[in-house]
Amino acid sequence: MVLSSNELKDIENKIIDLLNNEIGPIIKKRTGTTFGEYSDKTNSTDIVTEVDKSVEKKIKEFISENYPNFSFIGEETYIKGETKIGPEPTFIVDPIDGTTNFVHAFPFSCTSIGLSENGDSVLGVVYNPHIDQMFHGSKGNGSYLNGERLDVKKRPLDFTSSLVALESGYERGDTGNFLIKSKLCKAMLSENGAHVHGVRSLGSAAMNICYAAAGYLDCYWEGGPWCWDVCASKCILEEAGGILVGGNKGVWDIHLNERVYLAVRGGTTEAEQKKYVEKFWSYLEGDLVYEYSH
Amino acid sequence: MTIDLNQIEKFISELVLDKVGPIIKKKSGSQQNYDLKTGSRRVDIVTEIDKEVEQLIWKTLKDEYPTFQFVGEEGYVEGVTEITNDPTFIVDPIDGTTNFVHDFPFSCTSIGLTISKVPVVGVIYNPHLDLLVTASKGNGVKVNGEQFDYTQKYQTMGPLVLNKSIVALQPGSAREGENFTCKMKTYQNLLAYEKGFVHGFRNLGSSAMTLAYITLGHLDSYWDGGCYSWDVCAGWCILTESGGRIVGANKGEWDIPVDNRTYLAVRGTANNDKETQEKYINDFWNCVEGKLKY
Repeated sequence: MVLSSNELKDIENKIIDLLNNEIGPIIKKRTGTTFGEYSDKTNSTDIVTEVDKSVEKKIKEFISENYPNFSFIGEETYIKGETKIGPEPTFIVDPIDGTTNFVHAFPFSCTSIGLSENGDSVLGVVYNPHIDQMFHGSKGNGSYLNGERLDVKKRPLDFTSSLVALESGYERGDTGNFLIKSKLCKAMLSENGAHVHGVRSLGSAAMNICYAAAGYLDCYWEGGPWCWDVCASKCILEEAGGILVGGNKGVWDIHLNERVYLAVRGGTTEAEQKKYVEKFWSYLEGDLVYEYSH
Repeated sequence: MTIDLNQIEKFISELVLDKVGPIIKKKSGSQQNYDLKTGSRRVDIVTEIDKEVEQLIWKTLKDEYPTFQFVGEEGYVEGVTEITNDPTFIVDPIDGTTNFVHDFPFSCTSIGLTISKVPVVGVIYNPHLDLLVTASKGNGVKVNGEQFDYTQKYQTMGPLVLNKSIVALQPGSAREGENFTCKMKTYQNLLAYEKGFVHGFRNLGSSAMTLAYITLGHLDSYWDGGCYSWDVCAGWCILTESGGRIVGANKGEWDIPVDNRTYLAVRGTANNDKETQEKYINDFWNCVEGKLKY
């Protein structure tokens, strides 16, 4: 079975209502108030809160009530090495994307609800209640910000003129991924390197990809996110003419749980996008490596 | 002469809401023609709209306050323009010009007033998020015209400690040389497990918005070099009015003028706890490797 555009639109609208009426208000009310409560996952910069868990439970209940035949993958219930994305319609959910933002009341935490079918994203709704931005879209139906169609104006995708989102992420230390990320950041900025217009960091993968979808950013590169961080925004990006490829050199086709991503905006041709991706990859000194990809 | 700061704050608020904001919002992302300064400031962008908006602000303020001095980004002459003891408007018509060109929704207008070189009025307006943050000396901070209870806000936040904080950074437009090296090394030290080990970096690409966000409790601190008085004057007044503090970016620079060019801004605390704030500043300075000089 393949879900039709009409079916997808109907699901999209229901998810928008859920986020508007029930989930958004909780996130808005609780941000910045849970500092003492977070439990350490790997180290103190990886913050998971009780709100994360209760919001995921609420979303899961809504889904099992309305879409009992669909599968569900959520950040809080994911089991490393066991949970797999199957071909059946599967909701892939991050109750709070940008958990550090959430804990610190930096107004870029959001809820990200995506739907995959045959392993690819076909629907996404991302809601940031702090600045009231609802990005949503589904396959064949276009993508929107607060009901207004995303229409990235045609303009050249010139590498040195670009605004690039990069995140430092949770990894620290002098080896491996942290070092590759630091070097890449420097290579983007340096006048002996790409010398781009600027680098931005918002601390939320979903928001960064949505901002690329809207054309506010030219690209976003990161290693470390999971499928629930990108599933919703991937569809929103693609429906606005953008592309999501691998963050490591040569990876044109990605699995939703690729863990290393490069998002590039629309408003240009496919050929320009490809040229841009290859240019970006050329600044990488080695591959980012993550467990549990695919 | 008695100067009614509250009245000035109100007058400027109306100016930015009614006249300046709508232009910035409408023209954001529409400027494909801009001047790129040469050499190390090649990524420093000025558009026609910057000039137009500065003229509008200058004329309006001049009509209302004919005896006040005026320092604006566009009219500034290096080595000639000086901030005196006279009441002086210090204005950035569009702070975050790169954001403005790219339609990244963090450009804003920033208008400050100094008397005896001390910022006493600050107005920052981001029309994309419709966020107006203002203050005047002794009158507290207002958000969209409503008094902002920063004490209550800081009480709900976690402690002000370097390794639990979110830090705003901006690489700026100098992209090689000693300042660039100092910034890159300091960023690494702030992240490193055995040094700063901060929760995260954020980069909004606008000094004024960053200072407003610190005041609102969204960020803990901001470290930068290369900015000018007009980037920080309004934010300086707003932040200090809420108990925040601005010192130099380099170790030991406790007292700095508004045109210092390097800055470390730190938020206030619930109990106006100067000791905690000073410890934070010292801990931060210990991560600075080298020296920022402009």
